[in-house]
Amino acid sequence: MTPTAAKTLRATVASVPGALSLAVFLVICATALAAPILGLPDPADMAFALYQPPSAEHWLGTDNFGRDILSRVVWGAQVALTVAVGAALLSILIGSALGAIAGYFGGWVDGLLSRVFDIFLLIPTFFLILLIVALFGASLPLTIVAIALTTWPRSARLMRSQVLTLKSRVYVQAALAAGAPHWWVIVRHVIPNGIAPIITDGTILMGMAILTEAGLSFLGLGDQNLVSWGSMIFEGQRHLRLAPWMSIAPGVALLLLVASLNLLGDSINFAMNPQLRTRGGAPKRRATTAPPAGETAPAADTPILEVDDLRLVYHAGARRIAAVDGVSFTLPRGGSLGIVGESGCGKSSLGSALLQTMPNNAELTSGTIRFDGRAIVLGGKPVVENGRSRIDALRWTRMATIFQSAMNALNPVTTVRRQMMDALRLHKPGISREEATARIAEVFAMIGIPASRMNAYPHQLSGGMRQRAMIALSLILEPELVIADEPTTALDMLIQDQILGEIADLRERLNLSLILVSHDMGAVAESCDVVAVMYAGRIVEIAPTQRIFGNPAHPYTRTLIGALPSLTGPLEELESLPATDTAAAAAATGCRFAHACPAATDLCRRAAPPAVPLGAGHVSECHYAEDFAAEPSSEPHAAPAAAKEARA
Amino acid sequence: MRLLRYFLFRLLQMFPIALFIVVINFALIHLAPGDVSILLAGEGADPEYMQSIRESYGLDRPLHEQLGAYLGQILQGDLGLSFRTREPVIDIIAERIPATLLLAGTALVLASIAGVAIGAVMARRPGSALDTAVTTLSISLFSIPVFWLGLMLILLFAVTLRWLPSSGMVSIAGPREGLGFVLDVVRHMILPVTALAAVWLGQYVRLSRASVSETLAEPYVTTARAIGFPERRVMTRFALRNAMLPIVTVLGLELGLLLSGAVLTETVFSWPGLGRLIYEAILSRDTPVIMGAFLIMSFTVMLAALLTDLLYAALDPRVRL
Ligand code: SF4
Repeated sequence: MTPTAAKTLRATVASVPGALSLAVFLVICATALAAPILGLPDPADMAFALYQPPSAEHWLGTDNFGRDILSRVVWGAQVALTVAVGAALLSILIGSALGAIAGYFGGWVDGLLSRVFDIFLLIPTFFLILLIVALFGASLPLTIVAIALTTWPRSARLMRSQVLTLKSRVYVQAALAAGAPHWWVIVRHVIPNGIAPIITDGTILMGMAILTEAGLSFLGLGDQNLVSWGSMIFEGQRHLRLAPWMSIAPGVALLLLVASLNLLGDSINFAMNPQLRTRGGAPKRRATTAPPAGETAPAADTPILEVDDLRLVYHAGARRIAAVDGVSFTLPRGGSLGIVGESGCGKSSLGSALLQTMPNNAELTSGTIRFDGRAIVLGGKPVVENGRSRIDALRWTRMATIFQSAMNALNPVTTVRRQMMDALRLHKPGISREEATARIAEVFAMIGIPASRMNAYPHQLSGGMRQRAMIALSLILEPELVIADEPTTALDMLIQDQILGEIADLRERLNLSLILVSHDMGAVAESCDVVAVMYAGRIVEIAPTQRIFGNPAHPYTRTLIGALPSLTGPLEELESLPATDTAAAAAATGCRFAHACPAATDLCRRAAPPAVPLGAGHVSECHYAEDFAAEPSSEPHAAPAAAKEARA
Repeated sequence: MRLLRYFLFRLLQMFPIALFIVVINFALIHLAPGDVSILLAGEGADPEYMQSIRESYGLDRPLHEQLGAYLGQILQGDLGLSFRTREPVIDIIAERIPATLLLAGTALVLASIAGVAIGAVMARRPGSALDTAVTTLSISLFSIPVFWLGLMLILLFAVTLRWLPSSGMVSIAGPREGLGFVLDVVRHMILPVTALAAVWLGQYVRLSRASVSETLAEPYVTTARAIGFPERRVMTRFALRNAMLPIVTVLGLELGLLLSGAVLTETVFSWPGLGRLIYEAILSRDTPVIMGAFLIMSFTVMLAALLTDLLYAALDPRVRL
């Protein structure tokens, strides 16, 4: 057994339904195999005791011919399992082979086969099987073949999509380059790697096969020479009033076997994709807190946003991942802050914490967030005032967000105008249709979306236009603070620059405060006064934009802006650091960056660096911050421009 | 306009499938053991009738001409004669369709509405104990052989408790019109509809649970929450609305499965629909009726697939030619 298979099995058995269904299935298999040695009466033996209810002698009673029902149920298990295994195997065999061929060769072969798969999906298979069996005579092997012949497209479709993703994998390409013949590559590399979901589906297939055979037998199309549960129920039906036990027992057996197979398939599926079980969901109810005493009214110079020692933890099974690990910053009214870091550094988690839109497995363990001087989060708990959480009162009217529209941030089945209308009317219930329409048109004009595109659905807009629509949506209620999370990712360079320019422009015109979350130093250089660099859940350096490009005081910042490429190797390596690595870094003692830092010393590995203030709002968490700060990056003043060019 | 074009396009696509099904039917009769004319006319049919069958199907001519003749017949709606009653198969089937529609339609509507609602509620608390219990229960529900569930319902409610009739669609001496008739039919429907709907309910709960929890993890749902829409509205306007797309697709694709359940249920309850007809045809080895029923079922499923496609296209603005 391969390690992944063993792991899947363990995870399957770990769930109650998984363990239970596997146990039931194994017991039924064992009973069926042991049927000859259980000392039961011959299932065909006709005793004189007809219609006996369950008794000590006949545990499940006898039927209209005086045959022992327990014995018939046990032997019936053999038939059911034969049908299940036979039909599923044959179906998977045919399906995987054809699916692999379709996916592997593509082109017209794929076109033709896919068409055939589709046709089979539309054929009512039960009736086709019924017709075949009715025409050719009822026999178990024929039933098995008929079931396989009508169900194989299930496996074929699964295998085809598996192969399509596998085809481009390195080892497949390598085998081909080494001159291996196609059939060999398919048999040796493609099918074994793509088979997992098909085997999961196999349990469902087995259940279907059993029910199909039972249904046929119940209609009188069962194999006359064998004891099948379906035909037992078929016979029992006629004696329902006189001897109900005749039909109860085989039905219970059917239910147990099929349910255990279906539950098993379901549990394996969840074991392989654990997120299926817990993702989504409505936001869970979290503990709240009352507003703090002695809050003063906001003054003109009160910062729009103050964040203090914010900590956010994800629960993944028994693991706790500290995605935001003590972050503090202050954003003055009208200011703009860029938060930069590689994926997995916690910047997006920070964004979701500010907006209180974290997923259910995330939790704020500490920290205070103040909006315009009033606490909206206190000690990690949302502040509730007069029965309403304060953040809800700020949503979209004072604090809005720009998501990455390429990622389905707009509702795909609603026009953009309608989405803006809904947001507007939600927060201004009294607004008239005309006013609302006028406001939407105004915002569209401001963002540069042609009025003709107002009634478009998101998918009908180009990438840039769709992102503009998202920006328009965020500005519809004239918020004071906008949090933009990767607003230009997945757009092409030219459009990225345009949109960043527009955001910077709007910010000045509307006196917006802005937080821009990005993985891209160049993107924040253009539109932010202050830049914070995040690594493994902490802000490792924060400084005014010119400063951070001119005198980066943290080695990680230097890697990000590409000022030290020769020391750490290409930047891509850093960007591709998996999130778990940053999590491990966060858990380590000493400096989080020490494992990748070219300047790391013993001190770094032993003690976490303090936050070193370098003046003018410049702070760096590095033992040698002062030394680095003293040493300007290669081209101090041209740096932001250089970074921008480097991106292009 | 968009929908009309799409509909016509899909309609065109259905022709090869219909042809394929007819050809399968044709191939099966010719591959089956025994003389085709006996299959079609019935054993012990008088020679004269046998001869007329040979002529109308062109059984003395080469195969491709026979196929042509067969296709021509089907295009005219001629599915042959039942050899039991000598009536045209198409008439016999048409007579039975309303009863099946009533039974399957009622069960479908009840099961899908309840299933989607339950599934959506479960999707709000994924992984909770209740969710696991409901998932397990719904899997068990659709693992029940529907005909057996029907028998058990009869045993409990008709035989033991005597609350409801066990078979048929109307009482023998019951009223034939007015409210009394409707109530009588409803009383007869309760058990078969329950059996059928219970099994389908399991499917729909699973389907809607999976599909709604998927949409709840989508970014546009996060956007909706950030905008401040109340959770109810997020659920209906954003999550359910988008979740309906896969639900509708699967509903359409599984109709064949559903019809087979209906056939088995009708058999148990002696419901005078298509299923009962197929059962009787099997017992009397009335091949033309079985073949005709397969064709009609296939075309029904295709039609339903077409309608679901159309519904999908109406729900999802992204669908285009
Ligand atoms: S403290 Fe040491 S390891 Fe950490 S960034 Fe500074 S020099 Fe590198």
